[in-house]
Amino acid sequence: MPAIKERSHKAQKVLERFEKKLNRQIVGSLVACVHCGMCTQSCHYVLANPGDPTYAPAYKGDQIRKIFKRHFDWTGRVLPFWVKAKSVYTDEQLEELKDVVFGKCTNCRRCTINCPMGVDLATFNRMARGLLVSVGVMPEGVAVVSKDQWELGNQMGVLKEDYIDTLEWMEEEMQMELDDPQAKIPIDKKDCDVYYSINPREVKYDPRTIADAAKIFYAAKENWTMASEGWDMTNFGLFSGDDDLGGSVAVRLYEKVEELNARKLVISECGHGYRSTRCEGQNWGKKDVNFTMESSVITMLDYVKSGRIQIDAGKNDKIYTYHDSCNFARSCGMYEEPRELLKLVVNDFREMYPNRSENYCCTGGGGAMSMSEYSQRRLKSAKVKADQLKATGANVVVTSCHNCVDGLNDLIKHYKLGMEVTQLVNLVAEALVLEPRVAPEEIPAAPEAVPGADGLKGKKILVTDDEPDFLTFISTVLEDNEAEVIKASSGDEALKLAESEQPDLITLDLSMPGRSGIEVFETLRKNSKTQNIPVCIITGRPEMRKLIYDRPVPPPEGYVDKPADEDDIVLNIRKVLKAGHEKS
Amino acid sequence: MSEFLHFVEHPLQEIALLIMAVVYITRLRWLMKFPAGKERQAATGAIDTTPRRGIIYSWMNIANPMGMESTRTKIFFYAQFVVFHLGVTSAIALSFIIPYWPHVLEIPGVQPLLQFIIGAAFIVGLFRMIRRYGDKYIRAISTPDDHFSLLLLTVWFLFAFLSVPNDTSGGEWHLVTYFILTAFFLIYVPFSKISHYLYYPFTRYYLGKTMGHRGVYPIEHNPRT
Repeated sequence: MPAIKERSHKAQKVLERFEKKLNRQIVGSLVACVHCGMCTQSCHYVLANPGDPTYAPAYKGDQIRKIFKRHFDWTGRVLPFWVKAKSVYTDEQLEELKDVVFGKCTNCRRCTINCPMGVDLATFNRMARGLLVSVGVMPEGVAVVSKDQWELGNQMGVLKEDYIDTLEWMEEEMQMELDDPQAKIPIDKKDCDVYYSINPREVKYDPRTIADAAKIFYAAKENWTMASEGWDMTNFGLFSGDDDLGGSVAVRLYEKVEELNARKLVISECGHGYRSTRCEGQNWGKKDVNFTMESSVITMLDYVKSGRIQIDAGKNDKIYTYHDSCNFARSCGMYEEPRELLKLVVNDFREMYPNRSENYCCTGGGGAMSMSEYSQRRLKSAKVKADQLKATGANVVVTSCHNCVDGLNDLIKHYKLGMEVTQLVNLVAEALVLEPRVAPEEIPAAPEAVPGADGLKGKKILVTDDEPDFLTFISTVLEDNEAEVIKASSGDEALKLAESEQPDLITLDLSMPGRSGIEVFETLRKNSKTQNIPVCIITGRPEMRKLIYDRPVPPPEGYVDKPADEDDIVLNIRKVLKAGHEKS
Repeated sequence: MSEFLHFVEHPLQEIALLIMAVVYITRLRWLMKFPAGKERQAATGAIDTTPRRGIIYSWMNIANPMGMESTRTKIFFYAQFVVFHLGVTSAIALSFIIPYWPHVLEIPGVQPLLQFIIGAAFIVGLFRMIRRYGDKYIRAISTPDDHFSLLLLTVWFLFAFLSVPNDTSGGEWHLVTYFILTAFFLIYVPFSKISHYLYYPFTRYYLGKTMGHRGVYPIEHNPRT
């Protein structure tokens, strides 16, 4: 390697690890680009930022390619200026590269399928992410999520007790809804036909999807189980480019399936989770498996087509369109099955154009939703998707990806499209026609009343946020659910009110002027008068979560990301109150 | 024919071809030393999307302008691509026809056909040069090698066009220039972006294999997309 200038330790490590990451496919993509520019208009970043060539896929690829050329390609080694080959020397240059590979590309692969040469930018962009991650150069959110997945086994830092508690809560809700105490969410049951794995987002923000899936399995009389550990099918290794993390997470899941001797691993609707578990995990983890894997979309479609469940599409009476997740469609070929299922469970389906492998990214892919520093850029680039959604004339967009749900919700709100986002599991559950249950001979005891199950009546909640709009919004939501709300617009005020009012729960914003939410949280936990009050963090800065967990005090009981909708807030607050009630 | 013209048509071309062959073999050996990725997982997607079909689809993609949005929506640009590459093929063929099979040029219609193709490629070359300098996006991604390679080929087309009649009655300068440019081209190609055709089968093979295994290739298009 040329020793022209002094190189930083991190830059040196990146170069040393570069060669180890190279395989024939990546090298082919690095040498074959002819700079024809055919990829340019295929990228949503380019389309939303006209006139800025730094968003062009070939330009972004060249920021990685130039390093490759300087160190591995003969022309670049001898005549670097001739092919614009350039090495990296400083940490600042690595930061610039980080901005490109994390902040200007969602690895959606749309440029790949539009490249005449077959250059796979998404693959070597991921490789570059992995190189940067290996030296600690990455967005804060990527670091936080990766850490959670390494340490806690899931990417949202869900604790085992919270997970189990959520499953039990959903089981109770299902039993009440179906009026059948035998409706179960089995955990760690051996020798099942179906092992159902989920996205931790479902536990944290959307437990309804777990209940809906359980209802469908119940209706299909499936022999199924969930696992107490190894249940997270998402894999941040795909986004961070860290193959070690990717392999470790995937193998953890595969081994649990083997331990329970399940015949089939069913992966809930999640684009990157499906791709990581079904298509990449075995390669990263270098592991062969003796069970089959499929998306829950296929499972549900089979149930409907085989008559195992009965459907009344009339129950879903809105206008629906379908958004193809990049990972699900463009990287795993899953186009037709979701459409087939959707057309069976709704009456009015409108196609989105372009679609299938040519669909535009939701703009939240590639881990973009966890990188808050690029939010403005992401939302600007989302204009392309917003226009595409609007043109469908639908009022509900369906997608088989949790990441897309968040990305789409965010852009729908930003561009004021007034659309809903939902998943197939919700629509199938909604359309289910359940057979009348035969009354059991013994009437089971009534389930124990769950506080707050019918609203938040009688609960005193202290809401803390410095944004007046959000404070009003959340207060209104809670008051509508019959809670007694006390408002605090600063940390100091919150501390005072917490002590004097002794609320049943405190919601806390993390980034507030003056005393930050993190300080307030620690003070609450250290004060004997407030330490037992459950706290639910509500913040638009997910990267600050790490700071909360790093404090030497017990973690918060709940966590909600902004933007949050009414359902998210109420569900999470009810969950926290219920957990607190059971603990007491 | 002068001795010098004979030299540039024969020994010079043969040496240049030999150098190119050696460099290409070295280059392929270099590429093959990198490990190929392995797919452990069962195939995904429709049953009729297999690695084999993916590879074939990927290789044939070049002849299927409707297969990609980027070509489908820029048919004029795609036509330029076709003309340009037919021009390259014809000009290369000419460098073998003149020294070894000059009688082919006596076949009626061959000369006008070659001149039409190469002349059209020359015009496309000019268009491409304007685009490479004038288009903000293309200029940003262009290297000196990109500009030089395009200039080299465009000038080469011009002299190939003039050399098609293989007529030395007005002087040999155009033939000498064409063959010297051809020799330079042969030696320069492996070090430049023009060598992309060497990599094309590999990148497309691996992309096709992966996408075929994962059920993406062949892409079936909804007509309205």
